[in-house]
Amino acid sequence: MRIFPKIEQAWRLAVLAVLLSLLPVPAQAQSRKEPSAWEASVVTVEVSRKQYDYYQPWTSKDVRVQKPGLVVGERQILTTADELFNRTLVRVQKHGRGQWWVAEVAWIDYHANLALVTTTEPEFWRGLKPAALGGAIPAEGTLQILRWRAGNLENRKAEFTQFAVREGQLAAINQAVLEADSDIQSAGWGEPVVANSHVVGLLSAQDGRSCIAIPASFIKFNLDAHKRGEYQGLGYFHFYWQPAQNPASLARLKLTGEPRGVIVIQVPPRPDGGEQVLKTQDIILRVDGFDLDIQGDYEDPEYGHLMLENLATRQRQAGDNVKMQIWREGKPMEVSYRLPKYEYSSSLVPFGTYDQEPEYMIVGGLVFQPLTDSYLQSWGTDWRRRAPFRLYHYRDEPATKERSALVLLSQVLPDAYNIGYQEQKYLVVDKVNGQRINRLPDLRQALEKPLNGYHVIEFVQSDSLRRLVLRADGNEQEATTRILKRYHINQPFQLAEDAKR
Amino acid sequence: MTMAMLAGGQAAEPERSVIQIATYAQQPVWDAPWRFEAVRALGGSGFVIKGKRIMTNAHVVSWGREIIVRRYQDPRPYVAEVEYVGHDCDLAVLTVKDEGFFDKLEPLELGELPKVRSAVVTYGYPAGGEEISYTRGVVSRIELETYAHIGNRRLLSVQTDAAINPGNSGGPVIQDDKVVGVAFQGMPGLENAGFFIPTPIIEHFLKDIENKHYDGFPNAGLRVVALENPAYRSLLKLPDDNLGARIDGILPIPSAEKVFRVDDVLQRIGEFPVADDGTILYQGNRLSAALAFQMAQNGENVAVKIWRDGKAIDVSVEVQVYEGDRTAGYQYDTLPRYLVYGGLVFTPLSLDYLRTLGRAAPTEGPAGELYYELYYRRYESPATARPEPIVLASVLPDAVNANVAVRGRALVDNINGIKINKLEDAARAFENGTNAYDRIEFTSHGSFECLDRAEVGKAASRILANYRIASDRRL
Repeated sequence: MRIFPKIEQAWRLAVLAVLLSLLPVPAQAQSRKEPSAWEASVVTVEVSRKQYDYYQPWTSKDVRVQKPGLVVGERQILTTADELFNRTLVRVQKHGRGQWWVAEVAWIDYHANLALVTTTEPEFWRGLKPAALGGAIPAEGTLQILRWRAGNLENRKAEFTQFAVREGQLAAINQAVLEADSDIQSAGWGEPVVANSHVVGLLSAQDGRSCIAIPASFIKFNLDAHKRGEYQGLGYFHFYWQPAQNPASLARLKLTGEPRGVIVIQVPPRPDGGEQVLKTQDIILRVDGFDLDIQGDYEDPEYGHLMLENLATRQRQAGDNVKMQIWREGKPMEVSYRLPKYEYSSSLVPFGTYDQEPEYMIVGGLVFQPLTDSYLQSWGTDWRRRAPFRLYHYRDEPATKERSALVLLSQVLPDAYNIGYQEQKYLVVDKVNGQRINRLPDLRQALEKPLNGYHVIEFVQSDSLRRLVLRADGNEQEATTRILKRYHINQPFQLAEDAKR
Repeated sequence: MTMAMLAGGQAAEPERSVIQIATYAQQPVWDAPWRFEAVRALGGSGFVIKGKRIMTNAHVVSWGREIIVRRYQDPRPYVAEVEYVGHDCDLAVLTVKDEGFFDKLEPLELGELPKVRSAVVTYGYPAGGEEISYTRGVVSRIELETYAHIGNRRLLSVQTDAAINPGNSGGPVIQDDKVVGVAFQGMPGLENAGFFIPTPIIEHFLKDIENKHYDGFPNAGLRVVALENPAYRSLLKLPDDNLGARIDGILPIPSAEKVFRVDDVLQRIGEFPVADDGTILYQGNRLSAALAFQMAQNGENVAVKIWRDGKAIDVSVEVQVYEGDRTAGYQYDTLPRYLVYGGLVFTPLSLDYLRTLGRAAPTEGPAGELYYELYYRRYESPATARPEPIVLASVLPDAVNANVAVRGRALVDNINGIKINKLEDAARAFENGTNAYDRIEFTSHGSFECLDRAEVGKAASRILANYRIASDRRL
């Protein structure tokens, strides 16, 4: 986790904005040249999936999107994990036309934004040929972006701009990306980026002409680990650091020699409970054999200057030990940093909730939901500005043992039972019937123990409502039933733990 | 008959007592507090009240360096001065050095709170011309509204469809030859809706300044919420009579904390019974019960009937002006405090400072932390709230700070290990530093910057000279 300057997070927004324009539109007719060898490697993956409305978590729409896939091995189609969540049916098509074959996801990792799709239909695989991942960027920087459009293999020119380290598409992990400019439109869904005869990356996002791709070496490393059955998930650095551009800061920390390294400024408890080997005021001089400059960059043998955050995913995965040379209290020393596994649930406001129906509980018309990014995103493409400030600001707060997650009273479905509370919304629940609430199962348990015939619901201290009371004399079930019927809701709750059973 | 008509004729010419006001105002720059914005000319209105005074809006004269007033159809300019100003109620009274100004000017009388649907006429000097302008309308509704001048106070206000435009501010709203209000604000997006400050607020202000000091509108320090749900009423053993609203929170005001508890039910405030939706009936209007406390003067006792532990009891609470959220509203009269050290500019966090960050949403970038600190922390975790949070507002580029990466908008946690609770702490922390390098730590994940103390000492006068700063501090 790096602190200054803040990492650009605009990319994800851009991708959501083009979501609706995913289905193919007729491309401009391209002059038909020699059939490209890529036609045997690039396929189309069609995903039917549920699109949830987190504002009304009991409803969902069905959407169908098409995205490119790349044959990479024996019965293996590689694509990005984006849009494969909440899927109900996956089909594949080759040569950009004709029959669709029912397929399935063989492996998916949302954090890495990678998936392997396969089909048991032998006919599908006939005439297809795996593509090679890897290879260098040509000196003149010319790349091609491929996908099927209206029966033709679209082959768009792209100009390589740089390798950089950015937050991933589906996870708050910083990793190396390939950036290129192109005139291609509505891309960012796994389109192969090729140079000569090799695939150098898969597009994961687009903002105007700027395209972002997951580089081939990252894909290869994780796919190989998966093939060996050793994939552990993505790791990351669970501490905050700042660049050491200010020599006075290094001098105060008594670093001798040339200015170098970055300064550790905050070391939160590890989500896995493990020991934190770093301390605040440590200067990190070298990570995994790479010297760090005062901006926090290292010289990547493949990609040039990159931010050190990439060293948590470069040829590494969760659980791996990364050697660090640090400067502590005037002396150099070595530590071994075990990379914690990235999990959405480690954050107070989880970044992603995929392959899971939205959770909610309706109690006497009061709708309770977990606070998640998916919920905040229900404010639309401009959700970062439009979602209620206080709820959004919880994203900057750490999860703690006492408060590992948040449950909201998101709205009230008006009824005589809850009269007087119908205007209440966006309130974070602190306690119910005296018991602390972090997740919906806590709420369910607490509601089983009313206090002297009442449910007492307390919200976190703020300048909004702190407490409300409902009757718990047995009639609340009746009220809930009446409310569900009136508002056309099928079931009073949806909990992830029930779905797993 | 003739006499009566004459007398009536005189009284029916209130425009003679309506004053045109031109203010030449100069506001400070909140993120470079030694500087001032360009002088702006503001046009407004006012009217003569008893005691050779002019009443107008506070916002017509705020930050005024020179105030020029003119009489009806009289081109001569007179210089006026602010005698008292109430920024919370957006009212001010002015005096004029040359007492001849008031010759043959009759003070306007104050009327009552007008009835909804009754007709009113505004008098003033709005934009669009030089002469006095009249607009007629009806009283549309009467409610507590946010007073935009301060931004964080809701007081009694009257909405009318009489046009109220820039320049009308401070002018009288007349009914039956008496002033029933002072025109003061519009609302973006609403058509045919202007707002005026009604007489109960004007009279409160005038009574407040009788002791030659303006205190402001007091606050009981209570967050009162509706108590309509039968379950909550039953839990509190309340009779089923639709009376009484619940205290859901208490501000850190000692007089309030001494008397009230959360879950007390306000049944009557002074003479006003409180309904279960938290309103009182005031001169035929359903209004927030907060009004019943506001109408008392600072330091007065208000009799309150509350319901506690299953029975009604009578208590008395001293209402006080709440200053705890002063920085969350717009500030006037006092120039912003600051400290310049090594080119780093420190100033207290305030709404005025936040406004310098532009119109970006607070969720974008570091402004979110400042926004939280200013508006939420005081309520959510009062124990961690600082009396005066200090921000690094900007960095004046100089060799001594050339490598400082944080260039502003950062909340200061500590300097040289001393927690910064107010600006004086920052000055002391730098003065008493013992290390060769000063260390300034920010609240955001413990990020920090250091400065070479010896170099700072050498740079001090150079920075002040380069940036034309007369003094390194205004504490």
